[in-house]
Amino acid sequence: MHPLKDAQLGAFTFFASALPHDVCGSNGLPLTPNSIKILGRFQLLKTITHPRLCQYVDISRGKHERLIVVAEHYESSLSDFLKQGKTVSPEKVLQIAYEVLEGLEFMNQHGMVHRALSTHNVLMDCKGNVKLAKFGLYHMTDHGADVDFPIGYPSYLAPEVIAQGSFHPTDPSHDEAPLPSGPKTDVWSLGMLLFELCAGRRLLQNIDITARLKFILTLGCMDDIVTVLAEEHGCLDTIKDLPENVLELLRKCLTFLPSKRLTPAELLGDPVFNGVSCLYKPFQKPVSLFSSSLRCAHLELPEDINELCKDDDEDYLSERAIDEVYHLWCLAGGDLEKELTNKEIIRSKPPICTLPNVVLEDGESFGQGRDRSFLLDDTTVTLSLCQLRNRLKDVAGEAYYPLLEDEQSSLPQSNSSNELSSTVTLPLIIRERDTEYQLIRIILFDRLLKAYPYKKNLVWKEARVDIPPLVRGLAWAALLGIEGDIKAKYESIDKDTPIPTDRQIEVDIPRCHQYDELLSSPQGHIKFRRVLKAWVVSHPDLVYWQGLDSLCAPFLYLNFNNEALAYACMSAFIPKYLYNFFLKDNSHVIQEYLTVFSQMIAFHDPELSNHLNEIGFIPDLYAIPWFLTMFTHVFPLHKIFHLWDTLLLGNSSFPFCIGVAILQQLRDRLLANGFNECILLFSDLPEIDIERCVRESINLFCWTPKSATYRQHAQPPKVVNDNSFGKTGTYYSSDYQDMPKTDLSREPLPLCDLKAEVSPRISAEDLIDLCELSLAGPNKRTKSSKPKIVAVDIRNVEDFSRGHISGSINIPFSTAFGPDGELVQCPATGILQNYRGRVIVVISHAMKSAAMFATHLVKVNFPRVCILDGGINKLKPTGLLTVPSPQI
Amino acid sequence: MKKNKCKMSSTAEKEFVFEFRAGKHNCVLKVPLQFPVKENINDLHGRLMLLHKIPCYIENELKTLLSNFIKNETILDYDREADLALQRLTTGDVDVNQLTNAWTRSYVETTLEHARPEEPSWDEDFADVYHELIHSPASDTLLNLEHNYFVSISELISERDMEIKKLQERQAAEMDKVMHELGNTLSDQDVNTVASQHFDAQQVLENKWTSELKHVTGIQKQEYQEWVIKLHHDLQKSNNSSKINEEIKVQPSQLSELADSGARMFEEQPQLEESFTIHLGAQLKTMHNLRLVRADVLDFCKHRRHGSSGAKLRRLQTALSVYSTSLCGLVLLVDNRVNSYSGIKREFATVAKECTDLHFPCLEEQLEEVQQVVLYARAQRSSKQKDQPVVSFNEITRNGEDKSKNVERNSSNILPGEFYISRHSNLSEVHVVFHLCVDDNVRSGNITARDPAIMGLRNILKVCCTHDITTVTIPLLLVHDMSEEMTIPWCLKRAELVFKCVKGFMMEMASWDGGISRTVQFLVPKSISEEMFYQLSNMLPQIFRVSSTLTLTSKH
Repeated sequence: MHPLKDAQLGAFTFFASALPHDVCGSNGLPLTPNSIKILGRFQLLKTITHPRLCQYVDISRGKHERLIVVAEHYESSLSDFLKQGKTVSPEKVLQIAYEVLEGLEFMNQHGMVHRALSTHNVLMDCKGNVKLAKFGLYHMTDHGADVDFPIGYPSYLAPEVIAQGSFHPTDPSHDEAPLPSGPKTDVWSLGMLLFELCAGRRLLQNIDITARLKFILTLGCMDDIVTVLAEEHGCLDTIKDLPENVLELLRKCLTFLPSKRLTPAELLGDPVFNGVSCLYKPFQKPVSLFSSSLRCAHLELPEDINELCKDDDEDYLSERAIDEVYHLWCLAGGDLEKELTNKEIIRSKPPICTLPNVVLEDGESFGQGRDRSFLLDDTTVTLSLCQLRNRLKDVAGEAYYPLLEDEQSSLPQSNSSNELSSTVTLPLIIRERDTEYQLIRIILFDRLLKAYPYKKNLVWKEARVDIPPLVRGLAWAALLGIEGDIKAKYESIDKDTPIPTDRQIEVDIPRCHQYDELLSSPQGHIKFRRVLKAWVVSHPDLVYWQGLDSLCAPFLYLNFNNEALAYACMSAFIPKYLYNFFLKDNSHVIQEYLTVFSQMIAFHDPELSNHLNEIGFIPDLYAIPWFLTMFTHVFPLHKIFHLWDTLLLGNSSFPFCIGVAILQQLRDRLLANGFNECILLFSDLPEIDIERCVRESINLFCWTPKSATYRQHAQPPKVVNDNSFGKTGTYYSSDYQDMPKTDLSREPLPLCDLKAEVSPRISAEDLIDLCELSLAGPNKRTKSSKPKIVAVDIRNVEDFSRGHISGSINIPFSTAFGPDGELVQCPATGILQNYRGRVIVVISHAMKSAAMFATHLVKVNFPRVCILDGGINKLKPTGLLTVPSPQI
Repeated sequence: MKKNKCKMSSTAEKEFVFEFRAGKHNCVLKVPLQFPVKENINDLHGRLMLLHKIPCYIENELKTLLSNFIKNETILDYDREADLALQRLTTGDVDVNQLTNAWTRSYVETTLEHARPEEPSWDEDFADVYHELIHSPASDTLLNLEHNYFVSISELISERDMEIKKLQERQAAEMDKVMHELGNTLSDQDVNTVASQHFDAQQVLENKWTSELKHVTGIQKQEYQEWVIKLHHDLQKSNNSSKINEEIKVQPSQLSELADSGARMFEEQPQLEESFTIHLGAQLKTMHNLRLVRADVLDFCKHRRHGSSGAKLRRLQTALSVYSTSLCGLVLLVDNRVNSYSGIKREFATVAKECTDLHFPCLEEQLEEVQQVVLYARAQRSSKQKDQPVVSFNEITRNGEDKSKNVERNSSNILPGEFYISRHSNLSEVHVVFHLCVDDNVRSGNITARDPAIMGLRNILKVCCTHDITTVTIPLLLVHDMSEEMTIPWCLKRAELVFKCVKGFMMEMASWDGGISRTVQFLVPKSISEEMFYQLSNMLPQIFRVSSTLTLTSKH
């Protein structure tokens, strides 16, 4: 979106028609409220950006089907000319006509028609250029079908619009909506409007609506409509004095028969504009982030670089994009309903005064007077930015233009950095509502994303702090490494031809995150269908499993106007976190995944694991939807966003930790309950504190040795391409699978063996790394970030003395446990008790005995128990085994 | 039907023809397109490229031609339809007057600019004024005044009751005497005469009191409203608050002597109640409050003794919110006649008369209006049915024939599942009363979720949604009094049904209003046992998801 500049934010409100009571849709589900339909269609308008059109910013739903639309706004409009009662010079008329047509033509290209053109909807910016307002009303209301009021103003309605009739819900004689209007209707309205400017007075103001409309219809019998109009309004002389090209323009606009009238595009090329058109350059659409063309192709620096700084008036906020400013306005306490109520646009009666008297069984109510507060008042109210500017007055100018030069050094700090660094420590929910903080973060991310993929590393770094909600869609795309011409790729996928999965998709979509306005709108459903079909069609080896819809939801929500990006993100996300989960036969993948998950529960929370195993409440019963949808099936969108902000930074084993963190939040209830209660509890998952869940899963992740979550069905290592922008692998983000495979890595294990083991195995590599045994010298990572570890050698004393890894303690298996599996009291087990809480690696000859030992430890609630994959034999070739010097 | 026909005529198939050269071959691509084109042109183009393996060097050309074709054809379609519409006018197929009148009506009825100017409405002006005052320091005075009115009415009522009682005693004594003499000096005939005399005397007395009460109520209401308007006027006129304070102060002292004298007032009795906080929804959860209360339905209406704790607060709460957007509603189960002559309707009317309604018309007037509206609704319905002889299959099977017969019999009665609404400012905890019509069917043990009474509950909740009634009290067992046939299994079954249905409706409501938190009170009759009450309160958390209690533990 373009910068705010001298524009203002305006809001207007209207009501969507109420639905007839108790009618079901064809699929048996309740009908979508009209306000939601409008909200869905509105989204497209946010992408319509043109210098002659007022940028739409946002729409919000209020109580009782009220909608409030926020858009770019200017205080002055063409009505000002008429109020002054002066005629407008012919040159100016031509200029206005040309600019209006430019706007109309651009709309038509996007399949939209204005229909509500009038002098007060043609706004003027400070430079006197035309900005069309309310141009999207006809589009968003589905050609007026979703609202009770007619769209357009009586004096400006084109004859064919009048002839096609109005649609009124309470009118039983019209049960069909009139046909949609074409682009030419706007040309008529423009003609009327220009005529008014030329004549310096309003047309048809003195007669009532019926007479006005009849008059317009009778114009069909006239030869020269312009003259008739002029005579009717007693301004024949003024009109006759107009230059020929202006008269010609009026005549062309006010052509009665639509078939003879020109379209806006044709009129733009008409010779009447010969003198004007040369002054205008055709509008060039700015290049988007993901496209095949060069983003800097049209970037030209002026000869003198000072030119750029010339109009620097210290109003940095107005250089920010309109949607950013609006977002900040909301954060700074802006309240649309309050603003409109203050201006008395929203006037509501006390509900007790509007109650119906009688309601029949089918829900129809009687005895309710028509409420005047539901009438349309489409006055646009300017939203004052004072409060926001006041809030941001202490933000230094430098903060608006952070330097991103050096990746190594910390980011340039502004004056208020002290304050900000203290804000960083606050909970995320508070940070997301902090105006200054969000301003700084949005600017930073905006600049980083503009420099994507070059600044990919910095995006990663900053995303670890947090992601501002406004830019989340693009930030996620950057984290997922989306590149290339995604739009062309998406368009080349056949999303129309019916496929067998259609039926299932059709059933699932109306059940997926439908509490959300966007996703429950018909537009949302259409987009859902397209993205899902595109994914299914473009992944022939994979199939649609229920749950894919939930997985698609966050991407679609964030990139509602960019299906291609939603598709690209989804296609990048699935192989990273859900590799082969969507195979037709995915049982081996899921089984392995769940087994590793239960090992992780045992690793982190043996007590819970013991209880769950005892009552037979295995992950298969509850965790499949968690992992198959990456928790999107169980959480509402706002929680998914916070969860995934972190998930996307982690590697493919991070979801295990989230799973364990969720279980831990429900720990008390799980421990207290039996099988049936647990099933009930999970059938409708209670509220989960997501911030705590994220915090705890990071903590769990840090305690988990990397190889413990090894899965043989995980994504095979990617072919490393020499991409200079490639992010440097960090401990948390890179996958275990991505590490080069060596002899010391983990070996694949058959599923039945894996299932038999309660505790996870870790690789010799990890052991060496964590015990810092490496011969190659100290590792780069600081000690503090590593889990504390203790190696337990369970071979008998003789074997132990023949060679063991340094620092390990020897507890021969036979001595450790009593007949009932309890830990025997002896010095060695005493040491083990002391090390309780550390990662305990059980080392033995045979894996079987190690696994048994680990199982026993878990039974007595030892946390963080794992076993060394391959046993001591793995370590023998490394030369790391030491023999203690014989003690005398 | 009409719609279909129209749609048929406007969709048409046209063929897009594209010729290009591939090597030495001349190729022709023909694409049949449905107009108006609904699909995305880029997608269509992509599909064509893919499907027909069209060489990439003509990709852009195809795209331009395709979009131009669609654009031009669409314009032609628009033009044709528009010209046709104009033609219909000139040929007279469509009446110009009718057309323009329809347009005018649309504008007049839906836009503020063209709407008829609003007639000033006394109700709403008063609402604004009152709402402002009750949220100002004057509220105390207002409440005191209201209370004093209440007290004077109660005095009148107790006086009336006393007189009636005296009369009855006297008559009883007289009757005794007469009965004593029966067979001696007096015949049956004489006894009857005496009895009818007594009855007449009672009637006369009651009528006298009724008109007396009505008179006082009328005076109170007028006085009160004038006073409120005047006070508001004064407040606005002068910012000088001292004068106002004076005025405000005068009132209580003037009337304080009257306080605390009502003898007939409701004595507080031990209520059983239990509260729950619940979450609804699968992913996005909304929080609501539920309360299970064992009380008499009219306890929510009766005023408690002035001295009793919380009575004044409750009064203030009700007064503060009467014109707000958080109203309290109550479901009263009534029979199919709109009046207040018998049963619970009569009891309710008595309670409603105990205190003057200073804002809304009295119950009788409201009921009269309801009767009018019911008649109107029936007329509307039958005329609609005549218009549309085709009734959906569903409706026939569900409603059955007996219902239509019922309507024929007396069109001023309402049917089970229908309800009428009365508004009150004079009840203790309730602003809105839903009089839900139920029949004897609710006493039987086998009603289903499709029962009219249940559907009525759904519609009540819907009205709650549209009119900001955030607290609603529902009789859980759909009866106000217990009787023999209502055994323990009957109660449990009924409670489960209502709980489950209300849960469903509440989830539905979340989609209507975006999940505003509300309070639903389930009321059970006073006569059920304590044990039963706890059985029901155990059942509730099994049906609703009760939010987990927050356990405060030290951080680990």
